[in-house]
Amino acid sequence: MPSVVVGTDAFIALAKATSSKHGLPHMRLALVPHPLGGIPVDAARAKADGILDEVLRGLTTDPAPPAASGVTSPTLIDAPDDLDAFQVWAMEQEWSDGLPVLPPTEARVARILGRRTGDTLVATLMPLDGRATLHAIAVNAALAGAAPEHLPVIVAALRAVAKPEFNLNAIQCTTHPCTPLVIVNGPIATRLGVAGGPNALGNGHRANAVIGRAVRLTLQNVGGARPGREDRATLGHAGKFTYCLAENEAQSPWEPLHVERGFPRDASTVTVCGSEAPHNVNDHGSTTGETLMAAVAGTAATTGSNNIYLGGDPLVILGPEHAQTAASSGWSKQEFKRRFWDAARVPLEKFSADNIARFKLTHPERFEGAGPTALLPFASRPEDVMVIVAGGPGKHSAIVPTFGATRSVTEPIED
Amino acid sequence: MKLWSPFSDGQAKVARLAPRKPSLAGLTIGVLDNSKPNAGALMHRVAELLAARTGAAGVCGWSKPSAARPAEILDDVAKGADVVLTGSAD
Repeated sequence: MPSVVVGTDAFIALAKATSSKHGLPHMRLALVPHPLGGIPVDAARAKADGILDEVLRGLTTDPAPPAASGVTSPTLIDAPDDLDAFQVWAMEQEWSDGLPVLPPTEARVARILGRRTGDTLVATLMPLDGRATLHAIAVNAALAGAAPEHLPVIVAALRAVAKPEFNLNAIQCTTHPCTPLVIVNGPIATRLGVAGGPNALGNGHRANAVIGRAVRLTLQNVGGARPGREDRATLGHAGKFTYCLAENEAQSPWEPLHVERGFPRDASTVTVCGSEAPHNVNDHGSTTGETLMAAVAGTAATTGSNNIYLGGDPLVILGPEHAQTAASSGWSKQEFKRRFWDAARVPLEKFSADNIARFKLTHPERFEGAGPTALLPFASRPEDVMVIVAGGPGKHSAIVPTFGATRSVTEPIED
Repeated sequence: MKLWSPFSDGQAKVARLAPRKPSLAGLTIGVLDNSKPNAGALMHRVAELLAARTGAAGVCGWSKPSAARPAEILDDVAKGADVVLTGSAD
């Protein structure tokens, strides 16, 4: 049926990428000046006059069909030999994330691939529907500075983000600051040196740095999420350079994430979450699970979170000492989740009237009929709350909200 | 130096757009609202103005619950309208 896409001019790159992905690069667009949200309804309606002719033309005149584009095979390109000149060139080519990249030479890519078959298709990545073959992933791993032994983790993470429940297209293109957080479980974490102890989400760990970065560069280069174009993040966050850690299984009082999800303890897995940056929970005073929960739940229950209205499976990363405090109250991990779900709630009256009106329309199941004192949970069900133990000595934990319209995915790592 | 490009092929495919209508006279203009703020307000206004200008039979609307998910009601829209306006961004 004849259709016209109406949007704002700030989002034209995303509209073109989405229509091209569906084989319709000639889709008819009618663009009004940004923004549409956050302005009075009358101001939005007043923008209609400016696009009326364009919409009518789009519905009543056939555009010329575009030329079909052929499939191209992997390409070798001439690049500057000088490493500093190469960095400038890599930015111009839009290969880089801004930090220096290592050249994906034939020898380095071959070393990363080893005996694997390069044209094996691992996943197609949105928004471009780009073909993430082992070769394409190895090239991005080479750019990121990864070693051959990191490739199986990177591949498993990319297989995971492509699962429908992860909702990669939205994660890649949303204005919300989210990116795949890669959680590594099982013996491979120790073998590769994926840190789950002190400063696990910070600097200083090569495996964490290059695995997360290779995933991000593949999503940018193969998935086609270019910052400020298809990737519409308003602010983004620092984890979009790299966002990877191991669970500190040795210091957890509870079963690790992959065991919860049905894998044997000696299996190695990655779990990906469409995550915001971590927000710290400082609690140096509590000596029981009950008192600790006030700080953990209080940090999570905020009005500006996606999870509070979209649901999803937000993550609590407990530092080992906080986890021991909770366990010392006799709590299992399930009990911690139940108590967190019960405590991490926001009274409806904390939201603005504008937002309540909007949420009642978009999410009536949560907001319709709720009075001012109704308590809205941070996750829809206790079992939706994810809990892992990570970090080193100290009295800190972290809340990691997600995009909301996404589900974490756990995949086995095939060595 | 010679380097492998980190880009990969998209799924190469090109589809035809549906044939356009010679005029909107007597047709139903559909609006598929993606639930972003003011998306419906703008597109319904465009549809009303278009109907007044072209003699379209009327305007009808659908909305999907979240912009973050693909629409599951496209068959209904196709049955209920002759042409459709959709999209929107923040």
